[in-house]
Amino acid sequence: MAMEDANISLPFHSTRPHDTLREGLASYKQDAVPVHPVQVIQSNFEKHRRQTKRSLIERAYGSAVPLRMDIDRQILSRFQRPSGLLPSSMLGLQSLTGELDEFGFEDFLNDPQNSESFVPVDMHLGMEARLGLSRDPAAHTLL
Amino acid sequence: MVRVEEPAKGGFSFDLCRRNAMLEKQGVHAPKCLKTGTTIVGLIYKDGVILGADTRATEGSIVADKNCEKIHKLAANIYCCGAGTAADTENVTDMVSSQLELHRYATGRNSRVVTALTMLKSHLFRYQGYVSAALVLGGYDVTGPHLHAVYPHGSTDTLPFATMGSGSLAAMAMFESRYKEDMTKEEGMALVAAAICSGIFNDLGSGSNVDLCIITKDGVEFLRNFQQPNPRTYVSKRGYSFAKGHTAILSTKVIPLREQVTIEEGDGMAE
Repeated sequence: MAMEDANISLPFHSTRPHDTLREGLASYKQDAVPVHPVQVIQSNFEKHRRQTKRSLIERAYGSAVPLRMDIDRQILSRFQRPSGLLPSSMLGLQSLTGELDEFGFEDFLNDPQNSESFVPVDMHLGMEARLGLSRDPAAHTLL
Repeated sequence: MVRVEEPAKGGFSFDLCRRNAMLEKQGVHAPKCLKTGTTIVGLIYKDGVILGADTRATEGSIVADKNCEKIHKLAANIYCCGAGTAADTENVTDMVSSQLELHRYATGRNSRVVTALTMLKSHLFRYQGYVSAALVLGGYDVTGPHLHAVYPHGSTDTLPFATMGSGSLAAMAMFESRYKEDMTKEEGMALVAAAICSGIFNDLGSGSNVDLCIITKDGVEFLRNFQQPNPRTYVSKRGYSFAKGHTAILSTKVIPLREQVTIEEGDGMAE
């Protein structure tokens, strides 16, 4: 779907309504643009690095190697737990991409398990959203 | 079609950026972050590397910490002095220290200084200068002693002697006039201490004491507060004493608790 590929997507705050006193009057444009240059870096860096690495490997070793890597990636990213309390540990995928050997800010800052506004999603609603069966308009936020 | 679920990630949270921008527009200023004004230096001598740093941390024009530690450990044989925003230098050096440990487990070898340099450099360049950490990185590995200067935007220098921070010009003046190759340990320590003292006395952002760290093939000697050229002249052992009458008493109200509480006699707690 085109909306999934675009970088800009409108967030749907299901946990709290828009706070006008703290954030100013609500507007779609405000929510769509990133608020800080570091946010742009954080969201684009991984994808950009992966693409660069892929194109370098393609030029050095031919197009078969990155195609095989892509297939491995797709296979390994399908091993997930049903949505619910436990997040999926993508061990195979992390080992393939080398993420297992890396240590970054996301490993010690703001662990999502410790966040105060953690709302455990209902397993059935989550599976429906994942399979695309849900008729609820806000279902994509469950992903 | 099965959609791949992206797990919620940790890391930075930008939820409050818009609110902070709104508050700034209305005139509420953000608290000033702790900077290490600083003089940090490094020097290669005959047997290894000597790193030196002052110990003052400032918050605007206030001295926030009179005796802070600016020399951080990245590995057993690699140390790093940090200037700039204190939180940035500490967190970057902690992160790179963890990454070096993972790397040691993966490769099974002792860390090299160039590995630490590449990790720091790529991290700082990724954040385009928003992580304001200027570092002097020194260590002794299998290939010998190394000294590098790392700038906040990600560029690096490999040098026999380096200075960074607001007092870097004062310290560089000492190095440029007195540095020579193959110095002995005493000469090196004296020169580094003189360079830091020059920064302490001539720069407002640097002050207090001199820390030294000597890295050789045989190990590390960390001399915390090697020189203390700014002692407090007099500290009273008795502390403060305020006689009665220093504080004006505006009003007195006595509530006898016997009227509020009923006291019963009874047995003690049973075993």
